[in-house]
Amino acid sequence: MSITYLDAIREAQARALAEDSRVYIYGQDVGAFGGAFKATKYLATQFPGRVLDAPISEDAMVGSAIGAAIEGMRPIIEMQYADFSTVGFNQIVNNAATLYWRTQTKCPIVIRLPSGGTPGSGPFHSQSMEALYATYPGLVVMTPATVEDAYSMLLEAVEIDDPVIFCEHKYLYYHLKADALPTEAMPTGKARIARAGRDATVVTYSAMVHEALAMAEELAREGTEIEVVDLRSIKPLDTDTVLASVARTGRLLAVGEAWPWGGVTAEVVARVACDGYNLLDTAPMRLNAKETPVPFHPNLWGTHRPTARTIAQAVRELLRR
Amino acid sequence: MPKIPIIMPQLGESIAEATIVNITVQPGETVDADQDLLEVETNKAVMTVTSPCRGSVQTWTVEVKQSYAVGAVLGYLEATAEEAARVGLDEPAPSTVIDENGDHNHHEEPAEPGRTPTASRDTVKPTVRGLPVPAHASGASYLSPRLRARMSDLGLHAADLAGVAGSGAAGRVTIEDFEKFISQIERNKMSPASTMRVAVADAMRRSWTRPLATVALPVVLDPVLIHRKAQDPKPGPALYALRALALALAENPAPAGRLVGNRIVLPTAIDVGFAVEAEDGVLVPVMRKVDTTPLAALTPKYNELVELARQRRLPPTATGGSIATVTNFGTFGLTWATPIPLPEQTLVLGMGAGRIQPCWDAGTKQFVPVMEANMTLSFDHRVLDGGAAGRLLARIAALLAEPGKL
Amino acid sequence: MMSGAAAPPGEPAMREQILTAYRWMLLGRISDEKYASLYLAGGKIYGGVFIGKGQEAVSVATAMALNKGDIYAPLIRDQAGRLAFGESLLDATRTYMGSRLGPMRGRDGNVHRGKPREGYMAMISHLGAMISVVSGALIARRAKGDTAAIGAVSLGEGGTSTGAFHEAMNQAAIEKLPLLVVVTNNQYAYSTPTSRQFACKNLADRAAGYGIEGHTIEYGNDLAACLEVIGGAAKRARDGHGPQLIVTSVLRLSGHGEHDTAEYVPESLKNSKTGADCMQVTEQAILARGLATAADLERWRAQAVLQVEEAVATARREPAPDPDADDWCALATPHLADGFNNGCQ
Repeated sequence: MSITYLDAIREAQARALAEDSRVYIYGQDVGAFGGAFKATKYLATQFPGRVLDAPISEDAMVGSAIGAAIEGMRPIIEMQYADFSTVGFNQIVNNAATLYWRTQTKCPIVIRLPSGGTPGSGPFHSQSMEALYATYPGLVVMTPATVEDAYSMLLEAVEIDDPVIFCEHKYLYYHLKADALPTEAMPTGKARIARAGRDATVVTYSAMVHEALAMAEELAREGTEIEVVDLRSIKPLDTDTVLASVARTGRLLAVGEAWPWGGVTAEVVARVACDGYNLLDTAPMRLNAKETPVPFHPNLWGTHRPTARTIAQAVRELLRR
Repeated sequence: MPKIPIIMPQLGESIAEATIVNITVQPGETVDADQDLLEVETNKAVMTVTSPCRGSVQTWTVEVKQSYAVGAVLGYLEATAEEAARVGLDEPAPSTVIDENGDHNHHEEPAEPGRTPTASRDTVKPTVRGLPVPAHASGASYLSPRLRARMSDLGLHAADLAGVAGSGAAGRVTIEDFEKFISQIERNKMSPASTMRVAVADAMRRSWTRPLATVALPVVLDPVLIHRKAQDPKPGPALYALRALALALAENPAPAGRLVGNRIVLPTAIDVGFAVEAEDGVLVPVMRKVDTTPLAALTPKYNELVELARQRRLPPTATGGSIATVTNFGTFGLTWATPIPLPEQTLVLGMGAGRIQPCWDAGTKQFVPVMEANMTLSFDHRVLDGGAAGRLLARIAALLAEPGKL
Repeated sequence: MMSGAAAPPGEPAMREQILTAYRWMLLGRISDEKYASLYLAGGKIYGGVFIGKGQEAVSVATAMALNKGDIYAPLIRDQAGRLAFGESLLDATRTYMGSRLGPMRGRDGNVHRGKPREGYMAMISHLGAMISVVSGALIARRAKGDTAAIGAVSLGEGGTSTGAFHEAMNQAAIEKLPLLVVVTNNQYAYSTPTSRQFACKNLADRAAGYGIEGHTIEYGNDLAACLEVIGGAAKRARDGHGPQLIVTSVLRLSGHGEHDTAEYVPESLKNSKTGADCMQVTEQAILARGLATAADLERWRAQAVLQVEEAVATARREPAPDPDADDWCALATPHLADGFNNGCQ
């Protein structure tokens, strides 16, 4: 049996719906159609009345989820693409994220963002929004990179009493497979050493973990051992695991698929510079997408975002410094 | 009777101050709660300030047409204790602390003993700490933050690693190289460096950060030696050189200047030091205003300071603040050296051992024996060049040729 | 007008309803005026004061159409409605005066207060945003089998121009939710007149576009009309007829906030029937219909003044929030709070 990253997301939702009557799913085309990516396939039939098609109204989708959460429900909102979440941005960052702090009323909603690029998706179906949401207090931002995390973190997201932005990577939906669903899970807030190494640390998350692992495989053939840290959630960000890794290797490269201004890679470098300056053998480096909208054509897209090849180039530069 | 302050209100989010337009109630007049007291104008509108409670206006502390900050006390109202209690103004008014950023820290409860209401600001930490890492800095001279931190732990300096061949990029010393070096030296026999040794090392390391150069001139010492025989007590040849240096610098102090940024800092007094070997190091006693003190008066002072230096009992008045140093390496039988000026000085004058040398006498057309010694001048090449250094040496030599005038 | 055909209440019940509403309006007006005065006295109120002067009748009528257990999302001019819905005057005053004991504990202020778990939503400043929140609460009630509850959202004409308003009206219509959306057209959104806000003749006409029922109350200062129309619409919602859009016109008898002198309002509007003060209109009606005497009105006013002064004096003595005691944690799940420790904060 083989389980894809997408299967894991569907199975996690099926389990959440089965085990908790407070859970419902609301999003465009999630009902009988099963979702634009089939992340809710068959769920509307299995759980009648609890997997609901929404109008193209992201603001109202999130607003109603907040109201339902106040009344004790645990809604899961599927944004058809992460890119469209900007239409619901106000409700997410100003209403959901502030509710608990202002009123001590819990707001347990999960907003699933099919994130990141795939070849041919273009500027409005490819964005990585995680840093935008991470900057707001009151939100948890998950960025699972594995089938196991997609499953266990989504289940955990439903249980968390705060709004969770669940950034699931579209490229991994079908590309990533595991033998079975996990039976145990790491808690959110802990990063994972995806590969141990001694020469440099690459900190990344989501689909870039796999590009980094491919790079590490290639460099290992040259005798260089790169440690790859998978952040798993970018908020909270596990600074301790990152610092411990940098203490072992003395070199840091932070890689992200999002744009270069600010964001997760800047945050990682800032924390290491502030808290771990004396662990560094050389200036840390960042590698991000290019500073343009995400291009449509696969040739351009493949160059726009970091890949195993460009990460390897950056690591070689880091080791020369 | 409680005195109730009348406060400039916050008249809109962005308003910082307002101008008094009209005071409608005069001191002594009785007012009701919420009654208009005065009119103020912001850049948005004219508004009224109202009375906080019933009472009589005791005084105004403001003037019409003047501007006052939000929160400023505009005047005081006298109210009965009952009235103050009725409106809740009988308790001490909440103290509103407005810090430089305009943040309001509101404290109504009495501060805990030992902490002030503003104590919380002490806990604010900078958003960014630490120094930027030099991007692309590499090579043997580059010490990574990690290496620097490790060296700092052990009290080491970059110079201590001079003997370590780095295996890193462009020959830089990696943390592994460093740890290997440290574990290697652990196998050697070691003795602690004396305080004096560490102090000299520190001074020399700091001095060596500058481009230093040395020039030399052979000087005939016979006139000095002849003159010396007639003196009591007898000054040493180095003291003659010291006095000659002082007179030369009094004529032109520029070579003793120190370069700081883009300015030459000139000396204020011709105070000159001289090197005295002490146990495991060198001390430099200083003689003050040497240019105005004749040689005969300098000699007993010089002898006294040499003795005190050897006993390590130099008074504070005789250390530091000198503009140049004289060192007599000739006492070790040496004829040539390149001494290093003290870190805060530009010049060090050295005297070598005197030797009898043949000297061509143009009058008799034959070689005659003379007592000759090398005189060296080491200097900070940023301040002066070989020409200026040579002219200074030549002037000193000329002064030494007529020791009676020293 | 598609007003619900609720039978008019009998004379004693009607008298009781009018007088109850009037006394909430009075408490709303007097407390609003006190907050405004405290604001102008300086140093007692943080942030702005936004009062509902002139809108008390429609505000109270909306709140009185709700039962215990219903959901209410008031807006900035609903001091009277909030009190009528059941908010304590002390909690309202505490929020204005920054008491640590208020429901917002100093973290949010003035009109941004509420107790969401008790069906009393805490508005955000972004207009139109609270409609879908109430819809979501009603969706949850329905999922839990509670079909008795309705929800009411208060909005001004300016809020109808937002995308959030349109999204939420459409969504509520699709879900056929028992939702009242009460739009009080008070002629100005801050300083923007209706001519620069919308171009339709009557905002209630939009109901047809959403496929829901719409109602117009010509004069929002007419308490009896407000009670009748909003009460009727509430009954329609409760009876399963879906969302109800109620639109009424009044004149805001204050600035946008107490920092605003509203000099842009023309005299002709102030002197029009729309511009009449609902307090005076209601008092005249009460006296004319003999529902109470002038002495009663005087007594009630004095009682309301005392209530307000007591609340202010109490709130003023209460402790302010202590920055050192705050946990500074925005999450209900503290172990997921990001530890910006050491060098980074």
